[in-house]
Formats: sequence, C-alpha cells, structure tokens
Amino acid sequence: MPGTTKDMQVDKATLRTLGWLVFYDVNRTLGGLASMELLRRSLGARGWMTDEGHALFVAISRLTPGTNILAYCVALGWQFAHWRGALVSLAAASIPASTLIALLSATLTHIDQLPVVRAIIAIALIVATLLVLATAWNLLRPYIKGTNAVRAGIIAAIVIVLVLMKVTPVRILLVAAAFGVAMASPAAPSVAEVDR
Amino acid sequence: MMIFTLYFLLLKATVTSFAGMGSLPQIRQDFVVTHGVITDEQLSQAVVIGRSAPGPVGAYVVAVGYFAGGWLGAFAAWLAMITPALLVIPLLTLLRRFLHLPRVKAAVDAVVIASAVLLLTSVFRMAMDSVEMIRRVFG
Repeated sequence: MPGTTKDMQVDKATLRTLGWLVFYDVNRTLGGLASMELLRRSLGARGWMTDEGHALFVAISRLTPGTNILAYCVALGWQFAHWRGALVSLAAASIPASTLIALLSATLTHIDQLPVVRAIIAIALIVATLLVLATAWNLLRPYIKGTNAVRAGIIAAIVIVLVLMKVTPVRILLVAAAFGVAMASPAAPSVAEVDR
Repeated sequence: MMIFTLYFLLLKATVTSFAGMGSLPQIRQDFVVTHGVITDEQLSQAVVIGRSAPGPVGAYVVAVGYFAGGWLGAFAAWLAMITPALLVIPLLTLLRRFLHLPRVKAAVDAVVIASAVLLLTSVFRMAMDSVEMIRRVFG
C-alpha cells in the first residue's frame, strides 16, 4: 500500500485525527496544491504518508475529473482506511467550505442590491477573473514547452473554432480526446507527465 | 428546476472538468444559456463567493446550486461536486495499469488542454462582466 503505513491499526480515534487534519489543512487554504502540501507535511510528520505516496496521489488527483483536492483527499482516505477513510476525508474537505458558501449565497441574495455590496462584488469579480485566469494558465503551462507546444496550439485552435461555432463544452472535450488519441506518438512521453 | 435535473447538470459539468473552475463553461452553457435558471451576473457572483471562502476551488458550484434551487439546490450541488472525486478509487487501480499507454496519456493531456482553453474563454466573458459591473457601479 503506497503512501501510508501498511499495517496501521485504524481505529475511531485515528479516523477522527485524519478527519481533523484534512479539515484543518484544506479549509485554511484556497485548495489545490497548497492544501496537498499541508496534508503531506501533517501526515508525513505522523509517519502516515510517504513522499512517494503524496506524488502518486497528486498525479492521480490531477487525472480525476472534478476538483483535484477532493480526489486527493479521497485517495488519501482510501489508502488509509478504505471506504471509511475516503468518506471521512471527503466530508472533512468539502462540507465546511460548502456550508460557508451556501450561507454566503443566502446572505448575498438579500443584500446584493445595496450600492456598497455591489461595489465590493464588482471589485471581487476582477480578482475572481484573475484567479480563474491563473487556474487556466496553471492547467496549460505544462503543455506549452518544447515540441508539445505545437500540439497544444493545434488543440487550442480547434477548441476556439468549436467555441465560436457554439459547440457545447462536453462535445469539445470529446473532440479534443479523439484528437489526442489520433495525434499520439507511441514513443513520446508527454511533457505534462514529466512535470507532474 | 427539478433537484435531480440540477444535480445531473452540475454532475455533467464537474465530471467533464479537470480543475475546480474547469466546470465553469459547461455550467454557463446549461444554467445560463440553455435553461436560463441563473443569470451571467449570478454566475459571476457564485465564482466570487466561491473564491471568497477557503477550501476547494470547485465549491463555487454550491453557490450556483443555491442560486438555481435554494438550499436543496446547494445540497444537490455539493453532491455533484463530491461525486467525481470518488472516481479516484477505481482510477487508482486502472491508471496504474493503463496510464503508461501513449494513446491514453495523449487523450488525457488533450482533454486537459481543451478544458484550460475553454476556461480562458470564460475568463474573457467574466472580464467583460467585470467592466460592465464597474461601469454601472462607479460610472
């Protein structure tokens, strides 16, 4: 079992500690790699996770659809205590932030017409736009090096054309996957894999 | 909007994205363009709320769910957010077996690139919304 101590006796107290560490580390950052790094340190300090296990979980969480940090937490919990560990980790990582967001949404619907609130939202929207831009750039960055840049450029051009043709995102992703398979060179490793 | 419909639409968006914000283009397509249950401004507000709170980046879908269906909608959105994460369990087994295949790697890479470019198109729309909102508030 890579990543965790193999023969650890997982009792309720240990599961509680795992849940607390996931809750604390995921919900004091803005998610993503920062949370993963905090979890590596916290669990590594207790001898509950190796660096190799961390690397494996990061790689697989990036390949799992959806939010990477949640996939990372499920993988971590699964290796730790199978379904019990996976569900405890997933709940600890997702419920606090989701509750806060639902409460903020409920509050905002009552006050979003106030001028001062609209001014705050306007400024926050600029920041959010930059953060989304940063997310897109972080996804794209590993693919725009060396010879893979040409392939990434072709895929980007195809996506833009399909967006302009008003093709739905799911269909665009399917076209991209088919294109990726067609363009695959049997011998060439992907740049992204090297970076990950 | 029916809660099950809301769940499946959000699930479609989250399960076809490879980052927290990667679901944004599909959510806009389904919730703003096709069904019209939220506005572009509400979607932008959902992103703002999501980024204002600590925790997973993809949790902004909970705000989308709330705007589209109230508290039940928020719950359905939370379910839609966590469901794809459970796919990591079979992937732990499958990817160890198949990820070394060049065509599998290439397909995954292409999907990640495409989702990043789709996200960039959303950034363009959000930037336009920002300018418009600032013009209305401060203009």
